[in-house]
Amino acid sequence: MLHRWLALCVAVLLPAAQGVPLVKPITVSAAVSLTDALTAVAEAYAKTGGTVRFNFAASNVLARQIVSGAPADVFISADEAQMDVVAAAGLVQDGSRVALLRNQLAVAVPNDRPRTFHSIREIAEPAFKRIAIGDPAAVPAGVYAKQYLEKEGLWTAVEPRIVPTGSVRAALAAVESGAADAAIVYRTDVRVALKATVAWIVPADRGPRIVYPAAIVKTTASASEANRFVNFLRSGEAARIFQRFGFATAF
Amino acid sequence: MIEPVWRITWFTIACAAGATLLILPPGVVLAWLLARRKFPGRGLVETFVSLPLVMPPVATGLILLMLLSRRGRVGALLERLGIEVVFTWKAVVLAMAIMGLPLLVRTARAGFEQVNVRYERVAATLGAPPARIFLTISLPLAWPSVLAGAVLAFARALGEFGATIIVAGNIPGATRTLAVAIYGYAETGQDSQAFALLLVSVSIAFVALWTANRLVERSTA
Repeated sequence: MLHRWLALCVAVLLPAAQGVPLVKPITVSAAVSLTDALTAVAEAYAKTGGTVRFNFAASNVLARQIVSGAPADVFISADEAQMDVVAAAGLVQDGSRVALLRNQLAVAVPNDRPRTFHSIREIAEPAFKRIAIGDPAAVPAGVYAKQYLEKEGLWTAVEPRIVPTGSVRAALAAVESGAADAAIVYRTDVRVALKATVAWIVPADRGPRIVYPAAIVKTTASASEANRFVNFLRSGEAARIFQRFGFATAF
Repeated sequence: MIEPVWRITWFTIACAAGATLLILPPGVVLAWLLARRKFPGRGLVETFVSLPLVMPPVATGLILLMLLSRRGRVGALLERLGIEVVFTWKAVVLAMAIMGLPLLVRTARAGFEQVNVRYERVAATLGAPPARIFLTISLPLAWPSVLAGAVLAFARALGEFGATIIVAGNIPGATRTLAVAIYGYAETGQDSQAFALLLVSVSIAFVALWTANRLVERSTA
């Protein structure tokens, strides 16, 4: 009886296990917002003879996985704070941490009510009844948005109208659906939005420093291959791909 | 490079089916024990099996990750045997199995409780051992509920997200299920792909749940 069950389990599961390459690729845990850009970079990297497989999720999830001992070789985080979590656990390989990409904040509005701000002060107008941002208690984009509004002296004025969301994409979705009148999100997010448009791009010298750091995980069994990939991420070829997806490079 | 929908769908169905098959034998025996036997710690076992129903799936995923990763107790043992679980399809199946188990056990248990206990007693007085009573009387009579429980567990497994993304990750081509792919597409603003996968997901779940409801109806009629 038991044998038959096991045989059945194997028969059902085997096809799912097929297609696994013989040479083990390195595992790169990367912020989900980088999915498209990194997939394109990996295609270029494959031409140099290297293979990577990605694990895309929110940076705080990835950091927890690595700290808990999940087998990642490279970590690319959407903010310094989550890289710090991994570093604090002693899991960042010495000297491997680099600033990879930069992003900027932008104010998004529904595209049926387009606006162009001349100053961020306009967000305090009564017309903006609901302003969506990532939850400043947990979501990096929300932390940045709050920092920026505080720096501009606008936080107390708009705080009662802030709608905190579970992710930066949820903030953008609130604007696209018309449920919120504005959202503060990453510039790269509004770029691909169909029903939202940019009202204001936060100037690099006024906004918070938004850096995507990359590092090699100390427990990697393929340090040289991981190193080769991180070097490729900082090559001119990769930079062109990142720029195509709206990211500025930080190297 | 967009992973084809059929591939993600097939992978998800295969993993959900594998998870259901995996929990079916222990789940059914457990359901029967809970329905028919008084044993020390019965209440504890019952509560423990139901925990995944009420715990945040992310927490379940974290517990699994801590157990199974290289530094965990089980993980260290598996590593010595050369078995990798975290970030592989095995982790997907395991997460689905644990989330589906309470649904199977609870539904099957209700089925076993409806079986007239006299049949089992008569068989026992005639000298049939418990295993034989279970296989020739209880299980055949409770079969529709067992099947309904299995289908419910399968449907739950199809939509599993929270535990899966923690312990198996979102690795395109390796651990990406429908639910995880929908999250990935939604987070990168590819709403049309997300909706296409949602439609597939809802269709399969609809058929599964409809089947489960018909089976329960038949068993209670």
